[in-house]
Amino acid sequence: MRLTTGEKVFSVLNYLFFIVVMLLMIYPFWYMIMGSFSDSAYVADGGFFLTPAGFSLAAYKAVLQNVSILSGFKVTVISTVGGTVIGTFLTATTAYAISKKRLRGRMIFSFLILFTMLFSGGLIPSYLLVKELNMIDTYWALILPSAIGAWNIFVMQSFFRGIPEELEEAAKIDGANDLTVFFRIVLPLSKAVLATIGLFIAVWYWNDFFSSVLYVTEKDMWQLQMVLKDLISNTSNAIAQAGISISYQGDVNEFTIKMASIIVSSIPILAVYPFLQKHFVKGALIGSVKG
Amino acid sequence: METIQAEASTNKSVTAAASGRPLWKDLVRDKYLYLLLIPGMLLILLFRYAPMYGIVIAFQDYNIFKGVGGSEWVGVGQFTRLFGSPDFYEILRNTVLISVYKLAASFTIPIVLSLLLNELKNLVFKRFTQSVIYLPHFISWVIFSGILISFLNPVDGLINTIITRFGGAPIDFLGSSDYFRSILVVSDVYKEVGWGTIIYLAAIAGVNADLYEAARIDGAHKGQQMWHVTLPAIRPVILILVILSLANILEAGFQQVFLLYSPLVYDVGDILDTYVYRVGIQEANYSYATAVGLFKSLVAMVLIVTVNKLVKLSGQDGLW
Repeated sequence: MRLTTGEKVFSVLNYLFFIVVMLLMIYPFWYMIMGSFSDSAYVADGGFFLTPAGFSLAAYKAVLQNVSILSGFKVTVISTVGGTVIGTFLTATTAYAISKKRLRGRMIFSFLILFTMLFSGGLIPSYLLVKELNMIDTYWALILPSAIGAWNIFVMQSFFRGIPEELEEAAKIDGANDLTVFFRIVLPLSKAVLATIGLFIAVWYWNDFFSSVLYVTEKDMWQLQMVLKDLISNTSNAIAQAGISISYQGDVNEFTIKMASIIVSSIPILAVYPFLQKHFVKGALIGSVKG
Repeated sequence: METIQAEASTNKSVTAAASGRPLWKDLVRDKYLYLLLIPGMLLILLFRYAPMYGIVIAFQDYNIFKGVGGSEWVGVGQFTRLFGSPDFYEILRNTVLISVYKLAASFTIPIVLSLLLNELKNLVFKRFTQSVIYLPHFISWVIFSGILISFLNPVDGLINTIITRFGGAPIDFLGSSDYFRSILVVSDVYKEVGWGTIIYLAAIAGVNADLYEAARIDGAHKGQQMWHVTLPAIRPVILILVILSLANILEAGFQQVFLLYSPLVYDVGDILDTYVYRVGIQEANYSYATAVGLFKSLVAMVLIVTVNKLVKLSGQDGLW
């Protein structure tokens, strides 16, 4: 099939368009990376666009010695791992149970789950509940309230429905019960969907800061994103907050510290992104609208 | 969503099949299934349903020391206060406006982008482009707001550095009521536009290739093919996505607004969710804030039920 001149022109323009779009998408990240490596003395002199102004690792040294960033990392890693394990596991168990048509009361359970998508108690009652449960300033408050959600349960359920009944029946004849079927047959067959749901849950926990806003009063229980938010919005405090000694201040300033903190806290997401990518397109499409 | 539909269609047969046997026999037979079900259901009852019970404080003058049992009942007093307050109308208007602007942008731009993406014949280039434009979806709003705040900073932000180099006067974008909503819309599009193309790309991939061939033979050029073949073919997907997002009209993007706004732009940027947070958590006006939240939840529920009806009437499969 020969292309007409018009089609060729369109094609070239189209490639150019996407190159511009990509540059627009990448530039802010590039700018931050350059900013984080910049020498504060030059940054103050006037901007930089493509390459760092001078070169200095001082901002990274400061960030990696920063007590609140390190404690934020610890809190976020623990709540992300805990939340992902608990969330994925309970999503799977719940979804498996309601995927079985023979289960008595299944309609009621499904409705109870579905209804949470339509109506919610809202912010204040949730906050008061966590307070009543004495979970303020604990990992439970960061993990449990959002561990499982209706959407993920229904996505997982639709996947389980696709597993042939015969496999289960064959195992039952060999004397397996529902637990062995679930753990030995269903879960191993569901690695792809478990990975997809698990990754989405993990990203959610990693990016969460609002649980800290609501449920945490002690700064040493702040999630990483909350520490970052504080660092970013408290402009004048950035340096003091980073706990840098006076002698250091020549090399870093508020700006380089902020940029370095942002980069350091994005690295884990960027590191899993290639793996994530394999799964998320599928994840975004499963259970969504039929074409 | 398919699941939820399947649910409805199988409900009848299940009840019929189950009704013949005594309940206890089924409970014993499926004891391990219930064992698997219970922990998740308990979490849902505790963290989703207990707060629904907590809504009763919207009808009280809740005092944290007296608790739900001891606090004074005030009927719909909190709602009278809400509907009588001029703040409420401003906040409702902000919420709806911001979300309608976002809806308009996030419905048109990803469609155009996916049409163009679909024309990229070099698969390596196409995949790379997709990887790049999906990425911002996974970056947290905290980090994103950090980027925006630093770019838009009136003193040394990149944008204002450029403006002053060209002789302009620096602008405090985030502190200006003229710019705030536009910044919300643009940054939201920037972050989510790539992600938004996924579903359209899948729909476009499903369009029958013969249709394009036929159109070509009839002399249709690229633009005409997109307009007369691709768009009509993906119209059902577009329709259902738009209708469904109408149900979320009161969700204007809490995290984004919360991280970017300031008292300077409350007049254009304060939305229902941020209002609930400030009045409820910061000022500890629990009952009043719960009433505001209940208003929002109720409207959202009515919208989603109505919208689901509409989707079904239009001949598509609804949410349930």
